[in-house]
Amino acid sequence: MNGRELRAVRPGPGSAEGRDQDLDRLLGLVTRGDKDAFEAVYDRMAGPVYGLIRRVIRDPAQSEEVTQEVLLEVWRTASRFDAARGSATTWMMTIAHRRAVDRVRSAAATAERERRCAQPEAAADEVAETVAANLDAERVRHCLGGLNELQRESITLAYYGGYSYPQVAQLLGTALGTVKTRIRDGLIRMRDCMGVNW
Amino acid sequence: MKFGRDDLHTLTGVYALDAIEPAERARFEHHLGRCRPCGNEVRGLAETATGLAMAAAVTPPPQLKQRVMTAVDLTRQLPPADQHRSRPALRTAWTPRLAAVAAAVSLIAAAALAAVGLSTRGELDRARAQNQAIAAVLAAPDARIKTQATTEGGTATVVMSRSEQKIIVTTAGLPKLPPAKVYELWLMGPPSTREAGLLPTPRSGKTAPVLASGLAAGDRVGVTVEPAGGTTRPTTPPILVMSLSG
Repeated sequence: MNGRELRAVRPGPGSAEGRDQDLDRLLGLVTRGDKDAFEAVYDRMAGPVYGLIRRVIRDPAQSEEVTQEVLLEVWRTASRFDAARGSATTWMMTIAHRRAVDRVRSAAATAERERRCAQPEAAADEVAETVAANLDAERVRHCLGGLNELQRESITLAYYGGYSYPQVAQLLGTALGTVKTRIRDGLIRMRDCMGVNW
Repeated sequence: MKFGRDDLHTLTGVYALDAIEPAERARFEHHLGRCRPCGNEVRGLAETATGLAMAAAVTPPPQLKQRVMTAVDLTRQLPPADQHRSRPALRTAWTPRLAAVAAAVSLIAAAALAAVGLSTRGELDRARAQNQAIAAVLAAPDARIKTQATTEGGTATVVMSRSEQKIIVTTAGLPKLPPAKVYELWLMGPPSTREAGLLPTPRSGKTAPVLASGLAAGDRVGVTVEPAGGTTRPTTPPILVMSLSG
């Protein structure tokens, strides 16, 4: 399936877009202090939030702690979500990724993590393992597969690894500017492959 | 490091992946405020990154839900943001130098006003000395001014001079605090967070300038609500974190 076909599909209840609109609506209710709506947000998003944080931080206890912080921030700052600037899912996952990255980039965490992630090549394979679960994931895997190796490695190290792009450049022994443009080129290619509507 | 336009534009990818260092992030966000195509590209790439995130979903430990729901019961939510300043990241750019001079004049006036009501000679001398120190910062060739809304309403204005290693902070329209509480300023640096003084009692909603020394590279300015008298470390989440770069 290519991006154009996906774009033509009307968003139904099971599609990513349909889910996004529903999440928008739920966040609106959360803004007014609706705990049932927040519980629905939790049920839908705790898995992706925890999964992403776990991927970046690795340590289960710390990941759980950061997941709790992120979900609480969603509750606290729901009124600041602005649908005109992006989807509700992206708003939440941006908070999650930012928090996870803050945690691993703090000096204390660095040494321990480097010991655990001595094998950067593992990142891409792990994606393949996790995916099987759902259709979105299948599409992501397919689109990741369409990138060249440097693009794929740079993107997975930066996003799932939580490394800054200068660190990615160092890990891959590649020039800084090359990593920067490979990440952008790769993401643009994935965007088109995934049929993202922006 | 200096970046040309093209260099900045290619940062959309690493920005969307959060793979950018803080100093460069601030510079890029400044650029984003003026570059519509960059903004659109960042949005698309951020949505793409969300696809990567969703693909990593894992069922969380079952006890987490109860903990989060309990914490929710104890956590107050933020009120809706003022529509007119709903995009702080794109609106907090440093004002050009000319505007800084104009604002500086009103700052000095505010400082002079603060001196009214001082009774003893010693108080007056101290107020004068502070006004001179403030004037020195304002006169510094690298003085720059920036205003940002706090999460609780109202705004803080910071004049900074790297050469003087000082900042001056004034505020307007911050929520009134009970007598047992005070607004405390912080210099939040990569190595440490340092006390930067307490905001005085506001007059007509505005606080007289507070001067803080020891500004270091990478510092951000923070404001928290603390018990009267202040604390040595922030004990509540900041209502303002202002980046001084970009």
